[in-house]
Amino acid sequence: MNEEGLNIMLSHFLKNNTKFLQSVPSWEESIQIAAQPLLDQGAITTAYVQAMIDNVHKNGPYIVIVPGIAMPHAKNTGNINATGMSFLKLETPVLFPEGKEVSLLFVLAAEDSTGHLELITDLSSMLIDEDVMVKLLQVSSETELISLIEEVE
Amino acid sequence: MSSVAKQKSSIRARIQVVGGFLTNMVMPNIGAFIAWGILTALFIPTGWFPNEKLAEIVGPAITYLLPLLLASTGGRMVAGNRGAVMGAIGAIGLIVGSDIPMFLGAMIIGPLGGWVIKKFDKSLENRMPAGFEMIINNFSIGILGFILMVFSYYVIGPVIEGANAFVTTSIKAMVAGGYLPLLSLINEPAKVLFLNNVIDQGIYYPLGMQDTLSSGKSIFFTVASNPGPGLGLLLAFSFFGKKAAKKTAPGAIIIHFFGGIHELYFPYVLMKPLTIIAMIAGGMTGITVFNLFHAGLVAGPSPGSFISYLALTPKGSFLGMLLGVLAATIVSFVITSIILKLDNKSDDEENFSSSLEKSKAMKAEGKELLNEIITDAPAATEINKISFACDAGAGSSALGATTFRKRLQKKNISGIEVKHFRIEDVPDDSDIIVVHKDLYERALLRHKGKNIVTISNYIDDPSLRELLETVEKNKGTEA
Repeated sequence: MNEEGLNIMLSHFLKNNTKFLQSVPSWEESIQIAAQPLLDQGAITTAYVQAMIDNVHKNGPYIVIVPGIAMPHAKNTGNINATGMSFLKLETPVLFPEGKEVSLLFVLAAEDSTGHLELITDLSSMLIDEDVMVKLLQVSSETELISLIEEVE
Repeated sequence: MSSVAKQKSSIRARIQVVGGFLTNMVMPNIGAFIAWGILTALFIPTGWFPNEKLAEIVGPAITYLLPLLLASTGGRMVAGNRGAVMGAIGAIGLIVGSDIPMFLGAMIIGPLGGWVIKKFDKSLENRMPAGFEMIINNFSIGILGFILMVFSYYVIGPVIEGANAFVTTSIKAMVAGGYLPLLSLINEPAKVLFLNNVIDQGIYYPLGMQDTLSSGKSIFFTVASNPGPGLGLLLAFSFFGKKAAKKTAPGAIIIHFFGGIHELYFPYVLMKPLTIIAMIAGGMTGITVFNLFHAGLVAGPSPGSFISYLALTPKGSFLGMLLGVLAATIVSFVITSIILKLDNKSDDEENFSSSLEKSKAMKAEGKELLNEIITDAPAATEINKISFACDAGAGSSALGATTFRKRLQKKNISGIEVKHFRIEDVPDDSDIIVVHKDLYERALLRHKGKNIVTISNYIDDPSLRELLETVEKNKGTEA
């Protein structure tokens, strides 16, 4: 764990993997768009994108980890080539099932069940801090996001 | 919720927790009972295919195998695999320390052994010098187990033997006084504690033989061997029982009623101890009817199967015999059914309230309920292992576990294992399973009887805050 304060892993992974949009028509599309950077890099395949969407259909919107923030992910069934994370910020929240509003998406692609833990740890230390959460919901560019991440703790 | 209602529900919850503990200790081992029952019904000298060699298994299996299994399961429920080992070590002491099958003792010593090693492990937590873990772990079980073995040999075994002697004396007193139906008050509990052969062959058969010499038949052969009450009980479980108990009961009926191996129904009584009332009432009814019709058997029905009953009934006793068995069956069936029904009803309420809780997990009531769950369940009075679960076991559960670990760290609480898993992979010795409310049903399916905490927010959920507080409190009282 990085007690030093710099969330290096998270900011490293998110670099060039962020998108900022006004709105999207549906939650399914929010996942597709948010995952696009990972898809472009070949870290995941389209099957993984579909798996993340199916996961919500099947298990409910539990990927909405805290109000307003979703972490779309699914089991790796051979659809993930490299661990990665991408980010999407929506000005107007999109509605997930059960009426859950989401304006931030952190797409997680975990190659195995341990390799990405540092990433998760970083994300956790951001979300645990309410001040950071508030700021996170207001970021409007990748630079802002990265500097916010790096200044945590 | 008024405070009276709350109190009531918590007493009920407590009883259910104890009952659930017994059930969980017995249920995984029913298969072993059935295996033993089939073997016994077939191969003992009075069985269907007497076989001297195979019958040699009967004794050791009931003396050693079955109690050891129960003790091991009981220990495992308290302290995982280390508890299972301790439970079995303790049980062998009392098995050898007494001459009768030690089921009740095993069900006490098993969890006790688990508890001992759990306490010990707890006290050494974080104080183990690196590199010595394995030697300490092995020798702690070794030494504590040694003590437990001696303790159970000298203390628990004799205590249960003493209870046995008391039973024998009481029965003799009642027979002398002529209160035959009252014998059931002692017979039925004693049977369920696996003293059936002791009382039957040790007390009733000798009495019966004296009778037979003078009058050609005796009621004493029937007082503890009537297959009716057990049949009624198992029928009730077949109709109104739940899950595994319901499914296994019909098979148990065949082995019990036709095979005459009464041991098959004992586990069902042990898992719902209240049903002993049904057994006593059934037994009394049987004796009363036999008495009324002056019915009796010509010899001891061993095994106590319906078929050996018919074979040993002398002319003129058939009506009384059949009626006695039938009446006993009906009475125990009706009473067991009522008990199971009442029990189901309260379970339904419980389920209902837990689904209610689920739907408003965020609200304050959830707090109380969680408290109740955590304080009531024996397995979780100490929380050592918290498992976060989700579908993939990599994403949200990892996030939840990491965050919770951080919170523990901030509070300087150590020694609690917080890990993330796929729902299906959550280890059995987890004290608490945390899962998103959307995945609750699936978690329940897989981990019945576990403490499952549902959340709707992996980072900062009221239930998680509550859990953190409980953990903190527990640690505080221990220090």
